[in-house]
Amino acid sequence: MKVSLSWLKEYAAVEMETKALADAFTMAGLEVDAVTERYEYLDNIVVGHITGISPHPNADRLQLCEVDVGNRTVSVVCGAQNVKEDIFVPVALPGASLPNGVVIGKNIIRGQHSEGMICSDVEMGIGSDSSGIKILEGVLSAGMKLSEAINISDTIIEIDLTPNRSDCLSIIGVAREAAAFNLSKVKYPEITLPDSQDNIQKFTSVKVENPELCPRYAARLIFDIKVGPSPFWLQDRLMSIGMRPINNIVDITNFVMMETGQPLHAFDYDRLAENRIVVRCAKNGEKFTTLDQKERSLTNEMLMICDGEKPVAIGGVMGGLNSEIDESTTRVLLESAYFNPISIRKTSKALGLNTDATHRFERGVDPDGTIRAINRASQLIAELGGGLLIDGIIDHRKGPVKKCLIPLNVKDTNRLLGTNFDLKIIKGLLQSIEFKVEPKDEYSIDVYPPSFRVDILRPEDLMEEVARLSGYNNIPVTFPQASGESKKPSKTPVERNRIKSIMLGFGFTEVINYSFIHKLSCDHLNFHPDDPKRNMVEILNPLTEDQTVMRTSLVPGVLGTMNLNISQQTRNLKIFEIGKIFLNNDEDSLPEEIEMVSGLWTGSCHDASWHSTEKQCDFYDIKGVLEGMFNTLKIENITFTKTPEKSLTFTKTGYSADVYIENELIGIVGEVDQQVLSTFGLKQKAFVFELNLDSLLGLIPDTISSKPVPKYPAVFRDSTIIIDNNIEATSIKNHIDLLKEDLVESIRIFDIYEGEPISKGNKSISFRITYRSSVETLEDDYVSKLHKNITYNLVKKLDATLPGDQ
Amino acid sequence: MGKNINEIKNEALKELESVADVNSIKELSIRYLGRKGIITQFLRNLSNLPKDERPAAGKEANHVKIFLDEQFKNAIKRLESKSIDSGLKIDVSLPGRPSVQGSMHPISEITRQICDIFTRLGFSVVEGPEVETDFYNFEALNIPKNHPARDMQDTFYISENIVLRTHTSPTQPRTMEKQDPPVRIIAPGKVYRCDSDVTHTPMFNQVEGLFVDKDVSFGDLKGILTMFIHQMFDSETSLRFRPSFFPFTEPSAEVDIRCVMCKGSGCRVCSQTGWLEILGAGMVHPAVFENIGYDTSVYTGFAFGMGVERIAMLKYEIDDTRKFFENDIRFLRQF
Repeated sequence: MKVSLSWLKEYAAVEMETKALADAFTMAGLEVDAVTERYEYLDNIVVGHITGISPHPNADRLQLCEVDVGNRTVSVVCGAQNVKEDIFVPVALPGASLPNGVVIGKNIIRGQHSEGMICSDVEMGIGSDSSGIKILEGVLSAGMKLSEAINISDTIIEIDLTPNRSDCLSIIGVAREAAAFNLSKVKYPEITLPDSQDNIQKFTSVKVENPELCPRYAARLIFDIKVGPSPFWLQDRLMSIGMRPINNIVDITNFVMMETGQPLHAFDYDRLAENRIVVRCAKNGEKFTTLDQKERSLTNEMLMICDGEKPVAIGGVMGGLNSEIDESTTRVLLESAYFNPISIRKTSKALGLNTDATHRFERGVDPDGTIRAINRASQLIAELGGGLLIDGIIDHRKGPVKKCLIPLNVKDTNRLLGTNFDLKIIKGLLQSIEFKVEPKDEYSIDVYPPSFRVDILRPEDLMEEVARLSGYNNIPVTFPQASGESKKPSKTPVERNRIKSIMLGFGFTEVINYSFIHKLSCDHLNFHPDDPKRNMVEILNPLTEDQTVMRTSLVPGVLGTMNLNISQQTRNLKIFEIGKIFLNNDEDSLPEEIEMVSGLWTGSCHDASWHSTEKQCDFYDIKGVLEGMFNTLKIENITFTKTPEKSLTFTKTGYSADVYIENELIGIVGEVDQQVLSTFGLKQKAFVFELNLDSLLGLIPDTISSKPVPKYPAVFRDSTIIIDNNIEATSIKNHIDLLKEDLVESIRIFDIYEGEPISKGNKSISFRITYRSSVETLEDDYVSKLHKNITYNLVKKLDATLPGDQ
Repeated sequence: MGKNINEIKNEALKELESVADVNSIKELSIRYLGRKGIITQFLRNLSNLPKDERPAAGKEANHVKIFLDEQFKNAIKRLESKSIDSGLKIDVSLPGRPSVQGSMHPISEITRQICDIFTRLGFSVVEGPEVETDFYNFEALNIPKNHPARDMQDTFYISENIVLRTHTSPTQPRTMEKQDPPVRIIAPGKVYRCDSDVTHTPMFNQVEGLFVDKDVSFGDLKGILTMFIHQMFDSETSLRFRPSFFPFTEPSAEVDIRCVMCKGSGCRVCSQTGWLEILGAGMVHPAVFENIGYDTSVYTGFAFGMGVERIAMLKYEIDDTRKFFENDIRFLRQF
């Protein structure tokens, strides 16, 4: 909402400096966005003294003026008839930009230099006289600023109004707040209707078929008007707040709307079939062309203002082209109505049509302001359009506006605000903004908010007014009397942070990607046609193509992050993300939200350095990260099994493992498939994992029971066996586990070898078994025998050989 | 008799200080403690003393002997260990073998800091769904359908009744419907709005707070938020509360802090106002309590919400909110 300070001052005495006023508005809940000087553009226009005039050598109608602009004399070409020597005139110097868009420069006009422009009122946007240049009068000197010479100034205050304060969508509304700052009252414009003749009932009628959508409809008639441009003051008022003048009748309706907050509409009476008004809903599919020359398709929920035959306006939204006021109009039907805010909002949304009128109606106009506004406009039309007011007013309404009574208790007020106000203070504050207050007893009052404060419905609303007017910053700072109880922190955020710390410790940097991704992401990741992750949640109104669905995997995000960083020359990356995926159930219920953790490792583990050569990361690096994480979280019973061929998606055949904890599949780890990489614009090998964090959190033990540290020393024995290449290393451990030999503490594989002298299709695996007893120191011989047995057993079970056997 | 035992000790120590190689120390040791050494001589000469003085003097002299012996041995050890180390040459200017931690995302870090402050004040962390029903996102918060307040938030729709939550406020009714007062929660999370430019990303993060109990006042809200701001920024940061409008609070307030960049003198960050809008807050609207079934005559409460990106931008001097979700590692590694 733009407010011209000079306009506002017509209704309220303002004593404060502009900046203080702007601050006061902000602190009263009318947040000031910007304060601008309206005539700033006049700064480059100075008072010039014409010291000499000579005819333009190459143009009969132009003259060459020597103009003293204070610090120098410039020559200016001028075409005005009224230019003469020894007068003071406004000179726009090079650099000045005028309201009509002209930017003044140093020009050559028909071969003569012209260093500026002598301006008329219209050119400067300060008056309506365009017949010639403006001749300045009074005590003047060359070079003084024009704004000082003609004493013109205005400040435009832009207020970012919250939706509840519809009462401030008018200059008077804002003036009311300003008046309250110095405890004065708004001076409402005096309305004196001109002499009227005849009777409105003779000429027209109003029928409201949907009173619930149009609780009040008032109309007046003005005949014998002359449509033409508005006087300058009226145009100027509208321009000051960014509105375009159109003609006197339309300008007056706009002026009254901006002054009072009540939108009005003027119809050409003679273009109304049967000269009457019917308020009813449109028919489904009905077409209607609005003032902006656009054809609109209507529904039966939209309230229309019609004449005897057809719609002439979308009620409270926009008028129709078919009843528009134009130069031929001589008789006007003026409408001032109160429309149902929800109905207006629905219509406005459905048509995508936001106007000054809908903005006000949907927030709620003063239900009691209908008549004052129509009378104010009638008065102005009769004054400025030279018309004749027809006697009488049609005021169609459901009944008088109900007065809203709100009881307010002082104790409750102080309890909610933490203040210590007495009844007198509260009463005074509310009265300063035109609330009527009737004392009830020592601690309570009955409050009647003024009709324009449609937002005040409850005692709490009044308490806010009290707090607002006394100043939020004057409310004492206190601390709540909190109960001593404190809850155990919820597990999820705590454990999630722990997992983040673990990943940070492993050198992974956290990333956060958008939750919405490209619709084709499932294809990009090779999800199977029946994969539940293809049930994506779709956004009806996405911003961009690549943000149309909610993700069902974090992998597209981390691959996208990899792409961005590689394009920025960061080729070595260790990143992870924790976030939700969304699995669609059905249309009407919320999707399943599962929190996931995903990690990506690409490039080298470490750069070549003085102490080591470069090493590229591989599957075992990222698997190690997962093992490290599970280990830190004390999660046990983890198995990594080769991802079955048929369930492979974004990972590469043979380089992918499913991660099971206690036989529950909780995720996948592997190398990204070449095809998938190239879909994401990537070439470099990348290793990823994605785990179900919700499942993972459930598997973290709540308690830890410590075990005694071993008392007796361990004995180590190494073996190497040669087995089929296709046998997984884990089978060694599995078989030894099956032997249930208590003395075996751990098994560690320390070497794998393929190639000469091992025969093709085989590999050698070397492992170390740690033996320990919890009751005694083991004898070497005993362990050697045991180890031999175990190895022998293994050789048999795995169809292996020992190195010497080959 | 000549010098007393303490004089001998001091002389020995003085001499020890002046020598710097193992051989000299060994010589010194022999000269004092050897078979013909000064101390040995001194002990022998004790027999010249009167009988009753002999035991005390003997004891003292023996102490000195043991003491000096230790001193000489230690000095030799020190020198020997030095000579071993000096055999290995290192270049301290070479970079060490790296142990590199990752970086927490600045949004996570700030969210954690915010939640930590409030958990210290007795708040519990709760979380809610990011895809939300129209009911929890709007209706339960006193934002009916077709209310102009819906324009305050550009909403992503999934269906007519399902939206991407536009704020973390749905955690308020979700929590209250499961729990009787007192309620003290803090709810961080992602929120979504259909808006994208230098200052808006379609996804961003908020932290919501709710405190419901008997006799909770607007003054208490000011107290808690003042305490929070002082811990989050510094205790010199002043706050101001301005009237505002949120359908689910009454009275409603916007909270500004003194610009952390210019300290109030006016700069680009605060648009020359000297103040920065940092959070929205207010007393829980009675309609919200009525929807839940809390007795408004007994309980009052306050709620507040803040944008994590906004705070992170101020704390880390970040100028473009889109940087948070680009995930350029050169940006993220700074935190």
